[in-house]
Amino acid sequence: MTKSGTFDPMTDEKKQLEIRGFLQLDAFLKKKYGTMPVFYEIDGPITGIELAKELGIKREDIEVIFVNGFVQEVNYTLNPGDRMAFLPPGCPGPYRIALGFYGKNQDNAANFKIQRKDSK
Amino acid sequence: MSFIRLSFKLKEVFFVNKFIRVNMETLEVTVGTVPEKYAGLGGRALTSNFVNDEVKPTCHPLGKNNKVIIAPGLLSGTTAPNSGRLSVGAKSPLTGTIKESNTGGSSSQMLAKMGIKALVIEGMPKEDKFYIIKVTMDGVTIEEAPSQILGGCGNYEAIKVLNEKYGNHVGMALTGPAGEYRLPSANISFKDPDGNIRSAGRGGLGAVLGSKKVKGIVIDSTGASSVPIADPEKFKAASKVFAKALLDHPVAGQGLAAYGTDVLVNILNEAGGLPANNFTAGRIDHNDNISGETMNATITERGGEGKVSHGCHKGCIIRCSQWYPDKQGKYITSGFEYETIWGLGADGGIKDLDIIAYIDRAMDDVGVDSIETAVAVATAMDGGLIPWGDGEAVLKIVQEMAKPTPLARIIASGTSVVGKVCGLFRVPVVKDQGIPAYDPRSVKGIGLTYATTTMGADHTAGYCISGNILKVGADIDPLKKEGQVEYARAMQIGTAAIDSSGMCLFVYFGIADNPGGYQALIDMINAQYGLELTADDLDTLGKAVLKVEKDFNTRAGFTNHHDRLPEFMEYEPLPPHNEVWNFTPEEIDEVWNF
Ligand code: SF4
Repeated sequence: MTKSGTFDPMTDEKKQLEIRGFLQLDAFLKKKYGTMPVFYEIDGPITGIELAKELGIKREDIEVIFVNGFVQEVNYTLNPGDRMAFLPPGCPGPYRIALGFYGKNQDNAANFKIQRKDSK
Repeated sequence: MSFIRLSFKLKEVFFVNKFIRVNMETLEVTVGTVPEKYAGLGGRALTSNFVNDEVKPTCHPLGKNNKVIIAPGLLSGTTAPNSGRLSVGAKSPLTGTIKESNTGGSSSQMLAKMGIKALVIEGMPKEDKFYIIKVTMDGVTIEEAPSQILGGCGNYEAIKVLNEKYGNHVGMALTGPAGEYRLPSANISFKDPDGNIRSAGRGGLGAVLGSKKVKGIVIDSTGASSVPIADPEKFKAASKVFAKALLDHPVAGQGLAAYGTDVLVNILNEAGGLPANNFTAGRIDHNDNISGETMNATITERGGEGKVSHGCHKGCIIRCSQWYPDKQGKYITSGFEYETIWGLGADGGIKDLDIIAYIDRAMDDVGVDSIETAVAVATAMDGGLIPWGDGEAVLKIVQEMAKPTPLARIIASGTSVVGKVCGLFRVPVVKDQGIPAYDPRSVKGIGLTYATTTMGADHTAGYCISGNILKVGADIDPLKKEGQVEYARAMQIGTAAIDSSGMCLFVYFGIADNPGGYQALIDMINAQYGLELTADDLDTLGKAVLKVEKDFNTRAGFTNHHDRLPEFMEYEPLPPHNEVWNFTPEEIDEVWNF
């Protein structure tokens, strides 16, 4: 099995990440890997930022990541077997608050210049 | 066709702040200046105050005591970006509550430039005839509607006929076939600058207009001047700051402009909050078929008349709309929204974006709310009335709303009626209005808004938060209770204020993440009217609007017990997070503690 490709649950489940990209990263990953989601082999825990670098995704193209259905900050640690997605800046709506972006993007000055909770 | 009445010469009587009443019983028009108590109000603030003052709360929504009021927002007609929204108010035949539904299109800016603060339609004609109300700078006339646009003629054809009669340049509000039949999901359809359709969608206001036998309102602003601005320099400067705040924000540049609101399919799916199969799951596998990313790729690949980005009115700089073409590149529909695509694609399991686009067009053509219809369709699928995922069957039913057949009548009567007809307990409504595309079990703050808004379940009722209370957002976890009451309260207050400004709700993104942008919005209002409003004043306005609406609902018989989500959400866990709705009645009621 190469680093990315078709998922084989019998052998790959424990070693792979299930990766999606949204907005412009949807086209980017589909073009690069020919599929969505991308199943990507990792040796052990890896942060969102490290993974992005490996995949050639630019730092400024990520506001937050999803990990197993929850919004996390971009340097959150991913483990083999996780389902994750990269979300670029651009999600509209009150969901930016309701889904918890504002608690997770506060170290991410590139995206939204909102004040940190502890900076007041 | 007979000319009925030319009641007055607007130009000679008033130039600004006109308050027009059209009495459909006597077929008389009166015009006056806006009553003192409504001075300084626009959009939702004006429509809701008026409905609370003049509509008998216990009246039958389709009877002679209901009134329809149409009002541009405070900033409509100016050069302020995205300020062309129009509010429509009445008592809703779907919910029985007060209703404000707003729309894009050309009409708001035209009415504002004509100095018209509000157009009220009251009474019911004695004769069984449909009419066109024509508003020009020379007067208001009530004419019989051309027979070829009655009795099932779709809105696209009706716009063509009326364009030929009155000229391409006119603005229009139309009662579609569903409104003529007074079906509870009927919307009011508005012509946009390209002759396509935008809708004041929710709450069945098309049925109210239909009950008053108004087939359409034609607005010809020829001869209107620009809206007066008290301090033009200050206005220009604030408008520039505001536009920059919007355009600098990635939502405008990278999100909505490229992918439309449908960008939310993948995001809500990933969050496990995309209601599927009539609210029995929070995630689907065929999200890629119906996502905004796929829509963008499809429009780009097909070319022709397709456009990935388009504004629903002049002066929109976010341009979340689009023109979705068929395989030959021919226009099918525009304003192809996430909630419609979610309802048919995820909740109803229709896996083909093209057939969803044709259904969207058909809903615009017959004039029904695409959210209510989509939720009703999914409920009907759960109830065995329509096969799951059968797009062709749904298209046929929607087209039959123009006749309408018994099944078409049932679906166009809304989710609550469909649930009863099918004997279901799983009926996703609040105050009889279908719950839109965000499941309250996994996005709890939105659930509190659905439960407590005066409008019945409505995601747009909690869309904006004022800049100075943004810190509320930093503590929100979508599955936990902490902070959600404050969130739902602040979002509803902020939204009520923005809905009164004439601004599209999507300006929220630019101004929420950029306090300078929020101040610029206030500065524009101040510069236009010569005021000194602050952010706190806007908050006060939002609170006042909500309280007025609540007062109407209370007098109509609504209590806290109606501010509840459907019971099934308390005992049916939603995969993948397997959460239930767990707010107590006392916690929900706290939203109104302000
Ligand atoms: S952002 Fe969308 S809804 Fe708002 S005014 Fe523009 S096109 Fe209309």
